[in-house]
This record gives sequence, C-alpha cells and structure tokens, in this order.
Amino acid sequence: MSEKKISYEAARDELAEVVQSLEDGSATLEESLKLWERGEELAKICQEWLDGAKKKLDSAKPGAK
Amino acid sequence: MFETSSESPAPVRVVTEAIKEYVDRLGPIWVEGEISELNERSGMMAFIRLRDPSVDMSLSVMCHKSVIAAIQPLPANARVVMYAKPSWYTKNGSLTLSAREIRQVGVGELLARLEALKTLLASEGLFDSDRKVSLPLLPKKIGLICGRNTDAEKDVVENAKRRWPSVEFEIREVTVQGAAAVSEVSDALRELEALEDVEVIIITRGGGSFEDLLPFSDESLVRLAASCKTPIVSAIGHEKDSPLLDLVADFRASTPTDAAKRVVPDIAEEIEMISKLQDRARRTLLGRLDLEATRIKNLRDRPVMKDPHVIITSRSEIIVALKDRAHRSFAAHVKLAKEELVQIKARVRALSPQATLDRGYSVVQLANGDIARDASKLKNGDVLRLRLAKGETNATVSPKHDAK
Repeated sequence: MSEKKISYEAARDELAEVVQSLEDGSATLEESLKLWERGEELAKICQEWLDGAKKKLDSAKPGAK
Repeated sequence: MFETSSESPAPVRVVTEAIKEYVDRLGPIWVEGEISELNERSGMMAFIRLRDPSVDMSLSVMCHKSVIAAIQPLPANARVVMYAKPSWYTKNGSLTLSAREIRQVGVGELLARLEALKTLLASEGLFDSDRKVSLPLLPKKIGLICGRNTDAEKDVVENAKRRWPSVEFEIREVTVQGAAAVSEVSDALRELEALEDVEVIIITRGGGSFEDLLPFSDESLVRLAASCKTPIVSAIGHEKDSPLLDLVADFRASTPTDAAKRVVPDIAEEIEMISKLQDRARRTLLGRLDLEATRIKNLRDRPVMKDPHVIITSRSEIIVALKDRAHRSFAAHVKLAKEELVQIKARVRALSPQATLDRGYSVVQLANGDIARDASKLKNGDVLRLRLAKGETNATVSPKHDAK
C-alpha cells in the first residue's frame, strides 16, 4: 500500500505528522507500531529523493559535460 | 490637337509647331533640384541638368550664362531653386526649362526645410518610440548598407566578427553621398528588407559635411526606412550629426563600431554569464537539499523514530507504575487487616474462659461432652473430663467424702 510516486514534500510532511502522533502518545500500541513503520518508510522515501537529487547536481558540475 | 489620319498625316513642322504652341501656354514655375551637370562651353547659354535628389529623374534646363554666373561658385550637386518656363525647341523637338532665375538653396534654407520635414514626420508619428522594434539577440544575417571600401564597413564587420566569429553579413556597397545616394541606398534597403534571413539592417557611413549627409534626411528614404519591418540601426556620420534617418531607425549607434556591438552579442561574455547562472542555480539547489536533508535527519533522530522501544517502554512503565500502585494499595489493605486482626484477637482473648481457669476453676465435662453442672446427676463410676488451667485429665466419680 506504499505509493512510491509520492512527492518529496508530501512524504516529508507526512513524516512530520507521524512523529507528532507518536510523540502525543495517544495512539493504541498497535497503531503506534503501525505509525512507526510508516515513518520509517517515509524517511526512506525522502532520503532516496534527496540522494537522487544530489547525484544529479553533482554530475552536472560545469566541466563534467 | 487636330485631326490626322494615315491618309492625311501632318508633317513634322506642323506637329512640332503645335506642340510648341501647347507648351508655350504653360507658365513659369518654381522648381527645385540638384544641378548634376553644368555645361557652359559655347555661346551665351548654359545648359544644366536638374535632377530630383530622391528619384532618378531629371530635366534639361537652359539659361543665360549670367543667370548661372550669379550663383557661382557652385559646389557639386548644388541644390537650387529656379524660376523657369517649359520651352519646346522646334529645331530638334526637345523640351527644356528655360530658367530666368536660379538661386542656391543655402544651408540655412536646407536646415529650415529639414526642420519642417522633421516636424511633419513627427506629427505623423514616424518617430514614436512604440514603433521601435527591439534588435534580435542572435541575428541569422546582418544587412549592411555602406560606402565602398570604407572604414565604416571595416569597423562594423571586424567588430562583429570579433564578438561572434560566425556572424553572417549581407553587404550592399552603395554610393553614400551625392546624386545617386538616395536611390542606391533605397534600393539596397528594399533588397535587404525583402531577404527573410536578414534580421537586422545597419546603415552606416563615415563623417561628412552637411550636404554629404543630406541624402540620409531625404524624405522618401526616411519614409522607406520607417516602413521597414526589419529593425534598422543607423550609424551615420559623427555623434553630432543627426540625419532624419536616425529618428526613424530602431536604434541609433554613435559609430559603426558601436553599431556592431549593439547588433552582435559578445559570445564569450554570454557564455560566461550562462556558466555563472548555472553555478548559481546549482549552489542554490544544493543549499536547499542541505536544508531538507537536515530536516529529515532531525525527524529521524527524534526518540520515537530512532528508539521506538520507547513506544513500548513508555507503556510498560505505565504498567509497572500501575502494578506498584496496586501493590502498595494492597499492602496497605493487608496492613490494615492485620491490625484489625490483632485487635480482634485481643478482644477474643479478653472474652476467653482461660482467665477463669487460671483462677483455679476447672471445667468438668461428662462423657458425652456436656458440661457437668449438677453433682446429684452424677453416678459412681462415671468418667469425667477435667479441663484445668493447664491441660486436661480424666476422673472417675467415687462415693463422696463426707466432711466429718
């Protein structure tokens, strides 16, 4: 059920929400575990986005045509 | 004229006389033009060719030598006004203007005329800035109208090629002063305007006298330039010169070199600028990425994400705390109950018969457990249980001892 095509901003914002919910502590144990899993997934997506972008920029350095 | 036919044609003399009669009816007029030829060789008459400065048309003019002498010395292509009458010469059938008076059009006069023309064209909106078209950044081809083998031509071409080596020109070398200038420049302009590839046209010539530059204030040339769709850059004469062409041009350059610089970008400079922009874009983006990376790291470092055990430990801590509370609560209850018990024990103890027994009494029970209260009910040999202060024993009933 995880959408790999989610935009960077959407993933990052959802991650912030997940962390917020977990810190509230109001979720059930089961929900908390699910939230944490989702958080991990989102963090991974964000990291992939950032790493990919960095790679593109580095390879487009002037002189590296 | 009069009736003729192939059967009854008119002879030459009649025809020519008839034309003369017709022409003689035309009165004198004031006409203006340039003296392109002056022939004072023979006799008392001078022969002049008077041409229109704008188009390739001329008239032959004849006058008494004194008429022309009055305005000598004349510069080449002198602009003059004449009071002249058309005359038909029957000798050879030619039409000539017979000039009675010729005046030079002075510089002052010319300037005044120019001012008037300028005002007229301005009022028609030909100089309006919203008519000006901006110059293309990288023109496919540059049209260049200039004098033959002039410095102006060299300046434009060299400076353009220095900035952009592969620039392409369409050059039209023409006469840039005097009689033929207006028509040659106009023709060149029309030609270049028609070429689609030519995306900008430079018209240039070096410095010169007021008269030299006059063709570039010619009304027909100026109107033609105004009507051109291709942008025109004019670089005529020096800074101080201002032919009317400058006013309808889309850009006025102060020199031919300036024109070249305007029309051709400095490619090296442009490449550098683009490279710098690329750099800036990269750096801005990298900065943004750093910012985002930090954000993500911060989120990941939060305890709930980094050490999610807290989800569990925080809950088990709650459980432990609850257990604790339950424990303590229970312990308290137990303590309370214990204390109650102690109290009850004391009370029970207080109510117990042991004290009485301790005082020496004993409880006598029959064999069936009943307590013996009545001695007369006892029979000899009955077994009795005796509960003393300390311990129990059995006894048998024996005949009573009488106290004697």
